[in-house]
Amino acid sequence: MAWFGKKKEAKPDFEVDVLVIGSGGAGLTAAIAAHDAGAKVMVIEKAERVGGTTAVSGGVLWIPNNHHMAEAGVADSRAEALQYVLRLADGRSSQALVETFLDQAPRMLRYLEGHTPLKFKALGRYPDYHPEFEGGKPGGRSLDPGLFDTNTLGPWKPRLRRSPVFGATAMSVTEATDWGVFSKPLQLPFELLGKRYAQGLVCYGAALVGGLLRAALDRGVEPQLRVAARELLVEDGRVVGLRAQSGDKDIVILAKRGVILASGGFEWNSALAAQFLGGVLTHPNSPPGNEGDGLKLAMSVGADLGNMSEAWWCPSLCIPGEEYEGRPLHRGDFATRSLPHTIIVNRAGRRFVNEAQNYNDLMKPFFAFDPMRYERANLPAWLVFDQQYADKYALMTFMPGQPLPEWIPRADSLDALAGKIGVEAAGLSATVKRFNGFAARGIDEDFQRGESVYDHFYGDPANQPSPNLGALEKGPFYALEVHPGAIGTKGGARTNGQAQVLRPGGEVVEGLYAAGNVMAGITGPGYPGAGATIGTAMTFGFLAGEHAAGRSLT
Amino acid sequence: MPEVEYQTTMSVPPGKVWDFVKDMNNWAPFLTGYQKHEVLSEADSIWTLKGDVGILSRQVQLKAHVTEWNGPERVSFTLTGLNEQVDGDGTLVMAPIAEGAPPVMPAKLDLFARFVRFLVRLMFRVVHGRSVEKAPVVKGPPQSSLSFRLRMDALGPTGPLVNAMLGPALLPAAEDLANKIAAHLERTQP
Repeated sequence: MAWFGKKKEAKPDFEVDVLVIGSGGAGLTAAIAAHDAGAKVMVIEKAERVGGTTAVSGGVLWIPNNHHMAEAGVADSRAEALQYVLRLADGRSSQALVETFLDQAPRMLRYLEGHTPLKFKALGRYPDYHPEFEGGKPGGRSLDPGLFDTNTLGPWKPRLRRSPVFGATAMSVTEATDWGVFSKPLQLPFELLGKRYAQGLVCYGAALVGGLLRAALDRGVEPQLRVAARELLVEDGRVVGLRAQSGDKDIVILAKRGVILASGGFEWNSALAAQFLGGVLTHPNSPPGNEGDGLKLAMSVGADLGNMSEAWWCPSLCIPGEEYEGRPLHRGDFATRSLPHTIIVNRAGRRFVNEAQNYNDLMKPFFAFDPMRYERANLPAWLVFDQQYADKYALMTFMPGQPLPEWIPRADSLDALAGKIGVEAAGLSATVKRFNGFAARGIDEDFQRGESVYDHFYGDPANQPSPNLGALEKGPFYALEVHPGAIGTKGGARTNGQAQVLRPGGEVVEGLYAAGNVMAGITGPGYPGAGATIGTAMTFGFLAGEHAAGRSLT
Repeated sequence: MPEVEYQTTMSVPPGKVWDFVKDMNNWAPFLTGYQKHEVLSEADSIWTLKGDVGILSRQVQLKAHVTEWNGPERVSFTLTGLNEQVDGDGTLVMAPIAEGAPPVMPAKLDLFARFVRFLVRLMFRVVHGRSVEKAPVVKGPPQSSLSFRLRMDALGPTGPLVNAMLGPALLPAAEDLANKIAAHLERTQP
């Protein structure tokens, strides 16, 4: 058998119809679809737990025009969604693929709800990330998977990946919103959450993956853990299988109908990140196994690449000593910066962004380059807050009123704090004085923080006159470095509407598919709303599974 | 509040066990997640542990205060979190086993309890990436028993949730310490 131009004789260890690499939302959805379309399916996963990036996420799917929106009282249309996504894509995506997503995502959603344990609920108050843009919505496109009982997984229960940030607090996104998870942390029902933890209930990404995993297991598809992809096997230009490493053993898996790459991004591969990304990425928020394995496989067979400079950017905060799977834990910051009594400043002590805007777009000014100094003008950046914040709101795992740990720089005056963190004192004082004036009036004249309904979602509705603006005036004052992070990269193999990988000339690499963060993202630099990552990943995973198996499911 | 107790036996005389246990430098590295410790006085010390709580790993600093130093039978101590809202206490009890006495066994577990225990150990291994030290192979007739009781209580508003996470991690930690001490003594005593 000739594989990729080389004569190799090897007896396959496994022979299947469809091989899926990766067990996140894209991979498991692909596996379910391929199975249901009649294929014999195998899923391999490099890590020792199932779920990939999806499992550590909020687990939300962003699907415009979905059938649950009416329950939330939100009207939508394909035309509005298309207009909205294309604006955010900024000319850096394929309109055809955006249209494919808009047409197919609701079908995928209905199929999963009809054929798996998953049930979703529209988040009527979770806004799109630019809800005021034409076609944007104040809620309803993001879908909550609710809670999942891990006991239903039987022996697979401990093999379900959990988020190091969300993994212990089993509250659905709907509950988190209703309970005021950000603005009223002391009122959360911790007794109930403790009981739920002990009962084995999970939420967010673990709930979504739990449902998908249960569905896969019900179909006899058991993910093969600790199996790392190494080399695609190619015969006469068609991908026919994979050489992989299982423990110390090299194995060969033949997949006669196709190999689906669903192995996540390359954010933990510093060389690839430095080579491709347009911004700085030092503190990714995803599982450390996302090292670009699938990207390298795609490149090895001549795949065209797209959107390689982009990531789903997200600011990161860190607690020294915290680790996840042996690597430092970088906590994505979704709310701290949006709540009153906080600002983000650069080394000049100046604000440079609306701190409350969506985490993806927030990061872009962090990468501003000063050509005269030949440096990033807004890195390092610092979150500065006062005692009022510490008294009212949570900071990562530190609850209101709890003494903040000594490693957080603090001082009784802003000047002294500036000295401790290497920020220009005069700049910081002037910035805070100006910001405090905005807070008093409830209007941010510099960056419009608090004007969008999106900002309000992460703010404190009890704070007046703006849920996002509060003066920094009560010492001690504190500072935390805000690091450039991402919940995943979104550049990778270019595909067509069936998720088939394409070559630079546009022809298909037969037998090879891509979905999720290993695929060239269809939203370009934009992030339309919560779950746009997973919504697109699962949709193209679904399409890949169907096409590889050779049958449409509806 | 989570509290666990674990007992193991060894073919080492109680005096030898005490000689080893009375110097915390001997067994400190056997603590699950041990990073370092600093002795402040005869009674007080500060311990830095990498605590695997639930899903992630985090450095915890605890101040230990010995409340009872009653060799060769018993050491009791209290624990106070320095960077986390936790407190707790514990006791190490060493006791001789009379010649010919029936073997000291951990509390008898019914089938369900043994299954739960298996699951906890499995989860500890899968979630935290390592296994718990098993009870040592005893060279000869058991001469001593070593019991370790540990209680940890998370404080503050999140206490009920953190306690739910701490609970499953405590028993493996207690087993780990007691069994490692026993295994070490079995290995090194003539």
